[in-house]
Amino acid sequence: MRDYWLSKLFFDLQSTPALGDEYRANRKKVLDRYPLKPEVRTAVERDDVAFLAPWVNPYLLRFYFVVAGMPEEVFLKKVRTAGADAAARSSHG
Amino acid sequence: MAELAGVFASSHAPLIIRGWKDVKPANQRELTNSLTELGKRIKATRPDVLIEIAPDHWVNFFINNLPSICVGIGEEHEGPAEPWMKDCPYKKIAGHPKLANHILQTAFERDFEPSVSHHLTLDHGFCIPLWRGGLDPLPPIVPIVINDLEPPYPSVRRCLQWGTMLAEAVRTYPEDIRVAILATGGLSHSIGEPTMGEIDEPFDRECIRHFEKGDERPLVDFLNERLPTIGNGAAEIRNWVAAHGAAGKRGFELIGYCNCPEVYVGCGFASWDLAARA
Repeated sequence: MRDYWLSKLFFDLQSTPALGDEYRANRKKVLDRYPLKPEVRTAVERDDVAFLAPWVNPYLLRFYFVVAGMPEEVFLKKVRTAGADAAARSSHG
Repeated sequence: MAELAGVFASSHAPLIIRGWKDVKPANQRELTNSLTELGKRIKATRPDVLIEIAPDHWVNFFINNLPSICVGIGEEHEGPAEPWMKDCPYKKIAGHPKLANHILQTAFERDFEPSVSHHLTLDHGFCIPLWRGGLDPLPPIVPIVINDLEPPYPSVRRCLQWGTMLAEAVRTYPEDIRVAILATGGLSHSIGEPTMGEIDEPFDRECIRHFEKGDERPLVDFLNERLPTIGNGAAEIRNWVAAHGAAGKRGFELIGYCNCPEVYVGCGFASWDLAARA
C-alpha cells in the first residue's frame, strides 16, 4: 500500500532542494501544507521509520531521511529494526 | 540502414559518486577499471547515437503518473538533478528525435504501448556509467525509462521482448548510423528496506551465468523466481534483460563484478559480442 500524501511529501522534498532547506528549518510549516492523516503526521514528526516504511516506496523513504538530515547509520539501524518489528508483528498474527 | 554496433550493461550505484572516498581502495580500483573498460568499449563502437535504458529514481515520474516504459523523443534532455551530481559534466544532453520516434513507431507496431516524453531529466542512473566511463562529449542519447522502482514492474519476459523490438527498430532505421545500447542498474542491492545494504553475490553470480549461457527460458524462470526474494534494487536487472534481448540473447561477456558493500551494490559491468548472434 502507498499513502499518497506521505509519498507526495517525500517526493517533493527530495526533488526540490529549497523545500528541503525549508523543511529542515521549519518542519511544521511544510507539513501543514500536506493533508496527512494524523497518525502519519505523528510518525513523520517522530521519525518513525517502522511505521512509515509500509506506506511509501523504499527509495523515497531513504531519500526523505537523507533530506531530513538523519545520519546514515541511524537510518540503517531504524530501517533494519523496522523489518524485525514487522516480522514480530506478523508472527503474532 | 542503421547498425547496432554494441550492447552494454552497467551498475550505477549513487555512492560511486556520493560516497567514493569511503570506498576501499581495492574496490575503487576494481570499479574504476570496469567503468573505464566499459567506456572504452562503448567508444570503440563509435556510436552516432546511444540508446540508454535506465530506471527513473523519482525524478521524472511519481505515483500519480508512473509509466512502465517511457521513450524520450526530445531534442534535448536535462542532466542529473541530484545535488550530489553537481560535478557531472552533462548539464544538457542531446536527444535524437528521429531514431526515438522510429523506436516508438516500431514499438506500437509490435504491440507495445510505451509512454512518451519530449523532455526528460536523466538522473544518476543514466549519467554515472557515462561519466565514470569517460564518455565526454556524449553522443546524442535516446533515453528509455523502464519502471524498476515501484511495483507493478513490467515482466521479465516483456523486457526481453522489448529488447528484441529495439534491435529491430535499429535495424530498420533508414539512415546509415551506428547505434549502441547501454542498460544500467542492478545487480543485487536493497534500498530503503530492512535488508538495506545486503548484497547477494551468489544470486549475482548465477544471474551472470544465465546471461552467459544466454538461453531465454532458464534466465526468465530464474529471475521470475528469485527477483521477488531479494533486494528491491535487483529489479533493475530488467534493463539488462532488455539489453540481452537486443543482443539476440547471445554473446554476453562480463567486464567486471565487484561485491562492494560500501556502495550497497553488487556492481556488474558487461558487454555483448554481437558477432555471436544467431
